[in-house]
Amino acid sequence: MNFFKKKKKEKKISFEQAQTDKGNHTDLLLKDLNKNIENIKLLVGNSSDIVVREFQIDLPQSIKACIFYTDGLVDTNSIQNFIMESLLSSDHAEKTRTITSKHDVLSFLKEHILKVGDIQEVTSFRSLLTPLLSGDVILLLDGCTQGLKIGMRGGKDRGVTEVTTETVVRGPKEGFTENLRTNTALIRRRIKTPKLWLETKKIGKETQTDVGIMYINGIVNDEVLKEVHERLDRIDIDGILESGYIEEMIQDETYSPFPTVYYSERPDVIAAELLEGKIAILVDGTPIVLVVPALFVSFIQSPEDYYQRADISTMIRLVRFLSIFIALLAPSLYIAITTFHAEMLPTGLLISLAAQREGVPFPAFIEALMMETAFEILREAGLRMPKAIGSAISIVGTLVIGTAAVEAGIVSAAMVIVVAMTAISSFVLPAFTLSMSIRMLRFPMMVLAASFGLFGIFVGFIALVLHLCTLRSFGVPYMSPMGPHIREDMKDTFFRVPRWAMVSRPRLISQRNNRRENVQAPKPQKEGNE
Amino acid sequence: MKRIITILTVLTLLLSLTTGCWNRRELNELAITLAMGLDLTKDGKYLVTAQVVNPSEIAGDKGGGGGDSPVVIYQEKGETVFEAIRKMTKESPRKIYPSHLRMLIIGESLAKKGIGKPLDLLSRDWELRSDFYVAVSKGVRAEEVLKVPTSLEKTPANKMFDNLEVSAEAWSATSAVMLDELITDMVSPGKQPVLTGITADIKGDKRTTLSKQNVELIDTPAKIYFNQLAVFKKDKLIGWLNENQSKTYNIITNKEVSTVVNIPCPDGGKAVYQVTKSDSKVKGKIRNGRPEIDINIQVEGNVGEVECKVDLSKQETIDMLEKSYEKEKKEILVKSVKQIQEKYKVDIFGFGDAIHRTDPKAWSKLKKDWDKNFEDLKVNIQLNGEIRRVGTIGNSFLNDIK
Repeated sequence: MNFFKKKKKEKKISFEQAQTDKGNHTDLLLKDLNKNIENIKLLVGNSSDIVVREFQIDLPQSIKACIFYTDGLVDTNSIQNFIMESLLSSDHAEKTRTITSKHDVLSFLKEHILKVGDIQEVTSFRSLLTPLLSGDVILLLDGCTQGLKIGMRGGKDRGVTEVTTETVVRGPKEGFTENLRTNTALIRRRIKTPKLWLETKKIGKETQTDVGIMYINGIVNDEVLKEVHERLDRIDIDGILESGYIEEMIQDETYSPFPTVYYSERPDVIAAELLEGKIAILVDGTPIVLVVPALFVSFIQSPEDYYQRADISTMIRLVRFLSIFIALLAPSLYIAITTFHAEMLPTGLLISLAAQREGVPFPAFIEALMMETAFEILREAGLRMPKAIGSAISIVGTLVIGTAAVEAGIVSAAMVIVVAMTAISSFVLPAFTLSMSIRMLRFPMMVLAASFGLFGIFVGFIALVLHLCTLRSFGVPYMSPMGPHIREDMKDTFFRVPRWAMVSRPRLISQRNNRRENVQAPKPQKEGNE
Repeated sequence: MKRIITILTVLTLLLSLTTGCWNRRELNELAITLAMGLDLTKDGKYLVTAQVVNPSEIAGDKGGGGGDSPVVIYQEKGETVFEAIRKMTKESPRKIYPSHLRMLIIGESLAKKGIGKPLDLLSRDWELRSDFYVAVSKGVRAEEVLKVPTSLEKTPANKMFDNLEVSAEAWSATSAVMLDELITDMVSPGKQPVLTGITADIKGDKRTTLSKQNVELIDTPAKIYFNQLAVFKKDKLIGWLNENQSKTYNIITNKEVSTVVNIPCPDGGKAVYQVTKSDSKVKGKIRNGRPEIDINIQVEGNVGEVECKVDLSKQETIDMLEKSYEKEKKEILVKSVKQIQEKYKVDIFGFGDAIHRTDPKAWSKLKKDWDKNFEDLKVNIQLNGEIRRVGTIGNSFLNDIK
């Protein structure tokens, strides 16, 4: 432990020294262009993807200039057309009369020559390096202590494609991409109010990842917003590669199997959450957008619930609640009932189960454990394996843990049914995070069932409920509106009432502006009524 | 903090080891006992017979169905029932698991001596549910009944269970009594218990008829069937009711679901009244210082069969048939009640309870000598039978046979 600490410290010092040495003890841009170029090259270690292009601008007197950009991150065509083209053409001599100093040259270029939307002045190395490495173009002039940062981000992108994890039958199909800008645009396209605000931060000392915080001003709870800012500012980490990094740094409870941050890769879901008063955290480089505060029920709601008719959605949602219980408790109930409470089974079923167990060498618990483990292994293998051999796995899987195991007399047929039922139920949940927690919790439940029977299951379940009730996500009770019970919000918990009855926003999430619309139930217009 | 968590985790893990899953029993470690027989041996001990199922023989084709018997009999003698049951492990590879007990057969000789003592275990033991039927073996020992192989229902216990339920529902001359009901009746001063009787009829050589060969024959040489009702005084068997008395018992105690009654036609021949609903109200009262019972019976039914020439399309005929049924049935009821009053002198109908409900003060006086009072009790029976339907044809085609 000590050894490592020491080493870290040493490294830090040497790194800082290098920084200052290379920065020539000053961070500000110098007058001498060559020195500046030298400095930048030194700071990026002369990396070959940093393009440095020196040239002369033919204003009445020619000035040495230089542009920097990172190859691959910029739109090379636009640089060609809107920067190089305009800077190097000589037909702007007429307008140059106003120029009196070197600094004027810069503002002249900015105001008259460069046909680009996003231009900002930079004065220090620090402020130009991050944009440079994020895909902006930096223009420096000789004899000028300022430079221009020209927004030219481009490069290869995956493009908007259909979502793969949260599929719906009815509803929009497009999903977020790895590009933060595309993602914000996808949300903006859905919510066009000026109240949709976006704040950006850079998080990650080395990665300098762009993180956007999106919310609808006026609906969002300001206290929660403040808390989000505080927690994000507290993050001191070298790199953010996926929103999962941020999730772990800002979530309320690490030692809990339940996720307290919701995520989605569907713009329509995020838009709906924003309209409820939640806050979206977008991270550059991942299509997964985080949403806080998260409630337990949001993990059980699918976007399709809101696109389908209300009665159908309600039924499907109840099916989902049921399948949570099956996924969590089916194997443990089977173990408990067959090994402790055989009197609970109908006689016919008992005899049939007993007949299947004849000759099975393991206790029901070991049997269940084996099958569940086998299933988890198969599932993981199916995920990690190259898609081309995926079908092979499923064949082997069904044969091995299905038929063969029963025929070999290692497990009973009823156990295969239970495990299969559990497995299918665990895939019903629309949110993958919650279904993983439930899959994980299944095992301790099985242990409890095997050692204490139904009593153990109940104790475990009560402990689970107690734990869920203690959880909070950014100050909002995790189990609301069930515990604390909020009657108005129950409209969208177990049931999904018709659209026109969803009058208010979730009470604890949006403190202000609680009323959505004064919507009325549709009914046929009576003649002579108006 | 970390230390505490670690210690707690370790302790919890150790705790789950120490339990040793104390009463965990896998399904294939259970000797699932579906029927049990209690007999008295000559030296005054209990002979307990347990009929244990062989699951793989009953449930489908798994294991090939090697032609073994679907049930196994384990028997043991003991001073007490519990002792005998535990002793069975000397022979049985699995411990007797009586939770799914469906039938308890009590031998006639034991029933005469008293069934209270052996039933204590069955109502006390937490492994037993009290929803099994109790029957008394008539003329044979309980063990003999349990040794008869049955067809249609592979397990004899299930055969008896279903048989009793169906018969009590469709014929109403047997009585399906569960353990808790039996015990309630035994301790109640105002009602005496009644149990259904069961008999085994074994023809021919026992070695073949009590083997699987029995069920290979269409007309099985060994049969078990329910027959008559056993009357108890407290916990002792004192006699048997015949069929009419049994039916009377079921009607008055409101246990009748459905039965059929033959009624005479005015011009000879018979018709059948099929009871579909029967509701009896028993009211006790004290008149002139003497207890009296009013029984009001409402019966609904159909014309089930007509073997005589009557015109069913006329309301008068229906009325006539109703009258005929009422007269016929009432006669039987009055006669049977009288017989029971005179012959057995025990209140199996719960008339005492009825008086207790209406006049608790009088009951507290009558209670002491209720059997005596029951003997002289005046019972007024009102019977009202109605015909709702006449079946899928109107007049019988017999009318058209010239």
